[in-house]
Amino acid sequence: MKKLEHFIYNILSHTTKKRKVIMLTALAFSLSLLMFPTKLVLAKMLPGKSDNTFSVYIDTPAGSSIGQTKAVSACIIDYLKNEKEVMNVELFLGQGIPLDYAGLVKGAGMKNSENVAEISVNLTDKHQRDEPSFIMVQRLRKQTKEVCESLTKGTSIKFIEQPSGPPTMASIVVEVHGESVEKIRHIAGEVFGVLSKTQGLVDIDMMTDEPYDKYELVPDKEKISRSGLSVEQVNNILYLAFEGMIIAHKNANNAPDQIPIFLVLDEASRQISRPSIETLRSKLSSLNLMNTSGMMVSLSEVVGIKKVVSNPMIMHKDLSRMVNVVAETDMVSQVYPLLDARSKMLEMFEKDYSVTKAGFSTYMFDFTLEDKKTHEQFLVRWDGEMKVTLDTFRDLGAAFISALILIFLLLVIYYKSFVISGIVLLGSFLSLIGVIVGHWVANWFTSETFFLTATSLIGFIALIGISSRNSLLLIDFAKSLMQNEGMPKRKAIAVATATRAKPIALTAVAIILGSGLLAGDPVFGGLGVALISGTVAAVFVSLLFVPVLMDNAKAMDFERKK
Amino acid sequence: MELQKEYQIVNVAGKFAKTFLRNPLTPILGAMLLVLGFLALSTMPREEDPQIAISGGAVIVAMPGATPEEVENIILDPLERKLREVHGIEHIHGMAMNDVGIVNVMYHVGENREDSNLKLYDKVMQHMDDMPKGVMQPLIKPFDIDIDIPIVTVAFYAKEKQGSDDAKLFEAVRRVQQKINAVENVAKTTLKGARKSQYNIQVDSTKLSAYNLSLAQVMQAVQSIATNAPNVKAKTDDKKIVVFGVKNAIESVEDVGNVIVAQYMNSPIYLRDVAMVSKGLDEQNFQTASILMKEKTAQGDEANLGESKSQITLTVAKLSGTNAVNVSEDVVDVLQHYSKEFDAMGIGYIVTRNYGERADEAVNELVNHLVITIIIIALMLVFALGWRESMIVTFTVPAILAVTLFTAWMTDQTMNRITLFALLLSLGLLVDAAIIVIENIHRHLHSHDSKDKEMEELLVEATDEIGAPTNIATLAIILTMVPMAFVGGMMGSFMKPIPYNVPVALVASLFVAYIFTPYLSLKLLKKEVHAKHASHEKQEVEA
Repeated sequence: MKKLEHFIYNILSHTTKKRKVIMLTALAFSLSLLMFPTKLVLAKMLPGKSDNTFSVYIDTPAGSSIGQTKAVSACIIDYLKNEKEVMNVELFLGQGIPLDYAGLVKGAGMKNSENVAEISVNLTDKHQRDEPSFIMVQRLRKQTKEVCESLTKGTSIKFIEQPSGPPTMASIVVEVHGESVEKIRHIAGEVFGVLSKTQGLVDIDMMTDEPYDKYELVPDKEKISRSGLSVEQVNNILYLAFEGMIIAHKNANNAPDQIPIFLVLDEASRQISRPSIETLRSKLSSLNLMNTSGMMVSLSEVVGIKKVVSNPMIMHKDLSRMVNVVAETDMVSQVYPLLDARSKMLEMFEKDYSVTKAGFSTYMFDFTLEDKKTHEQFLVRWDGEMKVTLDTFRDLGAAFISALILIFLLLVIYYKSFVISGIVLLGSFLSLIGVIVGHWVANWFTSETFFLTATSLIGFIALIGISSRNSLLLIDFAKSLMQNEGMPKRKAIAVATATRAKPIALTAVAIILGSGLLAGDPVFGGLGVALISGTVAAVFVSLLFVPVLMDNAKAMDFERKK
Repeated sequence: MELQKEYQIVNVAGKFAKTFLRNPLTPILGAMLLVLGFLALSTMPREEDPQIAISGGAVIVAMPGATPEEVENIILDPLERKLREVHGIEHIHGMAMNDVGIVNVMYHVGENREDSNLKLYDKVMQHMDDMPKGVMQPLIKPFDIDIDIPIVTVAFYAKEKQGSDDAKLFEAVRRVQQKINAVENVAKTTLKGARKSQYNIQVDSTKLSAYNLSLAQVMQAVQSIATNAPNVKAKTDDKKIVVFGVKNAIESVEDVGNVIVAQYMNSPIYLRDVAMVSKGLDEQNFQTASILMKEKTAQGDEANLGESKSQITLTVAKLSGTNAVNVSEDVVDVLQHYSKEFDAMGIGYIVTRNYGERADEAVNELVNHLVITIIIIALMLVFALGWRESMIVTFTVPAILAVTLFTAWMTDQTMNRITLFALLLSLGLLVDAAIIVIENIHRHLHSHDSKDKEMEELLVEATDEIGAPTNIATLAIILTMVPMAFVGGMMGSFMKPIPYNVPVALVASLFVAYIFTPYLSLKLLKKEVHAKHASHEKQEVEA
């Protein structure tokens, strides 16, 4: 304790040494801030967490049959089969797996068509497994994608991990808004192209159904009315023949549900050898309709067949037409691939469109395109996890600033001095050095990137309070030494620092030990690391930097009370 | 130093210390706190993640035969415009497809769920008269996370690979579903991949043409037979009731085959002549489910997954605010009760999701972390302050946590990962107050003027002295947490337990430090007889 007291007193007595302390602190602060642009510390909202389960979403192109979807699923399951750590695999064809948090925002509950399937994979317990689920997903994704996606052209396979925090639709969502459906589809296609070439992005999908060939049966009105039929009759017979209908029910005492009676053509009669107008016509000719006078009329007589392209689905968001392109990140933060892809897009669109970038908001990555020829306007909007991250960071930033203001006001009330309150605040703000450096150091020790996350920010906000407490105790003690014992200022500061060093260090150690187990958690690791390294920095700041400021501050000149 | 009079208490810290120092109720209060904490720990509903109030819903409007463009113009646009009038909606997503339009509505996170659902329903119903013609009744499906996200899923499968047993499997599972729905706090149960039994009539179109028949005739023929009629009552002469009714003509699948479709050359054409009539599964249902799993063999688990088997998954969701752990345990109990019966029927089952168990594991793991951390801090304090002082501080921790947990319980929070992380986070902060008090007591006990004072007075003085800065410092930390409660969005809701619980823990830490630290010090600590080092230091200071 004596040594520390002398050490502090020594520093306080020399102006050059005091300056050195201030310079060093400023240097450390700016160096740590530089870790963001140099990408030594990467930011992400929440990191991945190892789980005992993951799921696979399979989307074959619109218009694919359940058989095609099944074939793709079987291909993936073949890969999963050989995994040692897989306990069981469930395949749900034509529907989603039982809803989970990830599926909730990804629209899994609404799935009900032949071109979708979901696979739920349960793994062995994460504590007994070496490979975290996110590494496994990353590996399987590479293996399965090329082989299985090529089975049916246009298939998209997505590996979905359980979110460690609140779920989002996808890491990156690019919305292309505009009036003309074809145009926004085209722009979305280009966005899709850029995203698929961007490193670090996987599972890219354009959320629209691809147009496919279909056949339109055009009822010949004249022939229909002349043969004494109706269009409704034609519709019904077609549906009944190929899709089938439940035409009656039978109640049963010994079955849990009613037994439906289902009428349809048999397999052989339904099958069409290959898609063409001729085969369809010959199939229809075997279907008869009975007209009002009890005569049979062949269906092919009253309809014409036309080959057309299907009308794809139209999507709206907030009342404007839009096409979504989604992408997941492959174990990296979404910020960097996003910036990468965005600059590539801006470059690409510059040729045909005049580009206007959005202003500073949480939609700050958006840009609008104006077609140079037609002057049509399109909006390219970035949503998804990025938007949530920006919103969260903005809110947390606001929370942080309000915390600073509240503390400042509290201190001003307590000390009745702006300068002293400023010293406390500045001292606590500098714990940021520790937070950033701590993440950089933590990154060395982890095999995956250790991100600065939303929880790190929460840790930092909590730190402000903790380190302001250190400075507070110091100032309060020095003040009472000067007032009650009449000690000279410099001496009082040195003694106060030395005496308060023990409880400051003790509480710091308590916080560090308390956060030690937090640091191991994937979600709250950021908070743990922020608290540990921030507290270390706070101790140094409050034992070295704050005394120097206190010595320099005129407001700290207290007279002995009488 | 003779001049020193009785110490004047200036802070609430000293007041608390003085009030409770000799109070016989103090130990009872301490014990009560611990009991309340234990009660909260064992009975609070447990969850893995905190509940986020996400509300929203979908309005599904079918319009058979309409193209996406038509659906957009006739259904989507007017509906979306109307829904803009509803307060609290964040985003409206519309989808116009062939034959159907879907409008999804997402409310801002944190909007009241019941209100939101009502508002959506109300708005659509108000404008029913504006609905275009040829459009079917709109379906309004609110999202309900609690009810929609199952906490337990169980896959049932036939042990022997026999495809035709699917219908039997369904019957068995349907019976269990009834029992599981009866379990307390179980909300919604669904079956996925269920294949129902059905009488299939598969018509051969060539035979149909040969007999010169149409499909519509076949349909009418079956429908005319398969009707159910209510019983009829008649009265006898002596006013008694006689009940009689027409039996459904279709009793078995054979009856369906024996339906006469038409007369041809004066001989009847039975349905079985033109179609294959069979008792089978619902062929038209493309939503199937299958499972592959590691099976137990005599040698233990197989290394690879077995063959694909068709399965039915039973999903079980719980009512909101109930304990996921209890519900899932009860569900598993019911299943076990039926396991023998299943065995006899050749049906196996496997629990493929158990959020209750996961929540329990997550909570227990974190509680263990808390205990380990407390022990580590206690050990650290033994070295820094001595074992008696360490014991005092260590006692305060469970007391503070108990108060915090109890408060959380009373305010209808659940015990989840974030709540416990909040406790872990506050752990480092909440020992501070106690450490500062005990450290000051320690310093006073070792100072040379300690022998002139009564132990009691000294404890009160030591506590009171650091009261003001400790109060302010703790208040500062609380103030940093308060703005976090106003962070919006999903992340804000997700993190809510932190700003809710950390301040409570900190306030509790102050009171516990002021009440119990001096009290326990009085019981456990003694004045130092020779306080050489401390008095030496004090003299130095005065010099």
